[in-house]
Amino acid sequence: MKPIKAIFFPGCLIPIKYPQMEVAIRRTLPNLGVEIIDLEGFSCCPDPIYFQAADKIAWLTLAARNLALAEEAGHDIFTVCSGCTGTLSEANHLLRNDEQLRERVNRRLARVGRKYQGSIAVRHIVVLLREKVGIDRVRESVTRPLTGVRVALHYGCHLLKPSSIMQVDDPDDPQILHQLIEAIGAEPVTHDERFLCCGKACIDPDLPLDMTASVLRSVRKSGADCMGMICPTCFSSFDTGQLLLNRKTKEHFEVPPVYFFQLLGLAQGFSADEVGLTRHRIKPTAVLEKIKA
Amino acid sequence: MEAEQAASPHKRIRIDFAQRRRLLAVLGGNHVNYCYQCGACVGDCPTTRFFPSFNPREIMLTALLGDLGTLLAPGSVIWKCSNCYNCYERCPQDVRPVEVIIALKNLAREEGTHPEEAQTIYETILKTGRSAPVIASLKRKRESMGLPPLPAIDMGELRAVLAPEDPPPGDSPPSSTAESES
Ligand code: SF4
Ligand code: SF4
Repeated sequence: MKPIKAIFFPGCLIPIKYPQMEVAIRRTLPNLGVEIIDLEGFSCCPDPIYFQAADKIAWLTLAARNLALAEEAGHDIFTVCSGCTGTLSEANHLLRNDEQLRERVNRRLARVGRKYQGSIAVRHIVVLLREKVGIDRVRESVTRPLTGVRVALHYGCHLLKPSSIMQVDDPDDPQILHQLIEAIGAEPVTHDERFLCCGKACIDPDLPLDMTASVLRSVRKSGADCMGMICPTCFSSFDTGQLLLNRKTKEHFEVPPVYFFQLLGLAQGFSADEVGLTRHRIKPTAVLEKIKA
Repeated sequence: MEAEQAASPHKRIRIDFAQRRRLLAVLGGNHVNYCYQCGACVGDCPTTRFFPSFNPREIMLTALLGDLGTLLAPGSVIWKCSNCYNCYERCPQDVRPVEVIIALKNLAREEGTHPEEAQTIYETILKTGRSAPVIASLKRKRESMGLPPLPAIDMGELRAVLAPEDPPPGDSPPSSTAESES
C-alpha cells in the first residue's frame, strides 16, 4: 500500500513538555501506513489564546508563515494539539476567503520571500486517522485489544468549534473519539461533563480549577479507568491542575489523563514504558492491570 | 417632542458611536452590530456558569453602546472568557461573541490595560518562537527517548515578518486637490 505522507506540525507543548506523547505518535503512526515528514523551521502555531489576544493580525501572519512552509514542501499538515489545529485551521479559513486579509499578510511574508497560497489542508491527527488512514485500519493494527478498559471521553473545545471552520464533527454529538476508542477494543464512557471546557484559558484564580474539578468529578462518577485526551493543553489541566486541586481541596482525585496515542500504542503491543506512560505523575494503573501490561 | 421625553420613564440611552467604530475596525470586532440581545450565547457559556457576573450578552450590549471604557479597563471581565467557542456555535446572528471579545483584548493591549498573565506566553513566543521555554535538560531527555532534536527556528525571519505592517502599495495620503473635490 502507498504510504500516507503528511507533515508533522509538533507545536510547542508536546515536544517540550510532554515528549512522551510524541514518542507514542512516532511509534504508532508507521503501523498505520503513515509516513511522518519532519520539517525545519516551524514556529509556535502561534498560541490561540494569548498571542491572538495580543495582536490578531500578527497571529495570522505567523500562522500563515507556518502554512507557507508546508505549502513549499507540498504536503498536508497534521497537528497533535487542539490549539495548533484551531490556529492553523482558522488562519487557513480566513486567509482563503478574504483576499484583502491575505494580501495584507502576504505583504509581510514577502519580506522573507514567502507566500501563503492556501494550497494545503490542516488535520488534527485523529482526523488524519479517520479520513486518510480509516478506522478499520486502526482496528487492524491492534494486537492487544484494550478489552474492558473504560475510557472517559474528553473532546476539548478547539477540535470541534467553531464547527463552520473546523468541520470535524457535530459539536453536540461528535463520534470521532468514540469510534477510535472502540477501534482499540476499549469502551468509550460518556459522562455528564464530557463537553465542559478544561478552563485553562480563563485568567482568574478560581475559574480554571472550578471547570477542571467539575470534569474530574463527572469522570470519577462514571467509573472510567482513565481519560482519553487529544490535546496537551487539556492534558495539563487534568494533570498539573488535578495535583493542584488535590493540594488545595479535599477531593483526592485519582483520574489518570492519557493521550489517545499512548492508548493506541498499548493496543499495538508497546509497553507502558515504550509509550511514555511510566513518566506520568498520575499513572493509569487500572488500565495497565486490565490488559496485564 | 421634549415634553414626551420628559414624561418617559426610561433613561435616555446614549451610544458612543466613535468608540464603537474603534471596535468595528478591529478584525473580528465588526460582527457585534448583528447582536439582537437574545441571550442564546449565555446559556452554554462555561464562564457564566461558574462566574455569573460574566455574561457574553451583556458584554455585547456594552460594546454596542460604545462603552469601551468599561470593557478595556484594567481587570475587565473580558479576560475571564475561556475561549471555548460555545457562543460562536450558538449565536443565531453570527455575532461570534468570542471574536468580539478577542478584538476587545487586542484593543486592551494597545492601551496597555491587559493583565500580566496575558503577557508571558506572548513574550516567550516573540523571543524564542515557541510558547514554552526550552530548558537545557530537554535535549538530553529527548535523546534518551529516541526523539530527534527540536528543529531550529529562524528568529531573524520571525522578527522580519512581525515588524510593523507597511502601508498598502499606492496608499499615499490624499492630496489637497482630492480633498477639495470631495
Ligand atoms: S451575541 Fe448572538 S446569541 Fe448573544 S445575545 Fe447577541 S445575538 Fe444573541
Ligand atoms: S468563548 Fe467565552 S464568552 Fe463564549 S461561551 Fe466560551 S467562555 Fe463564554
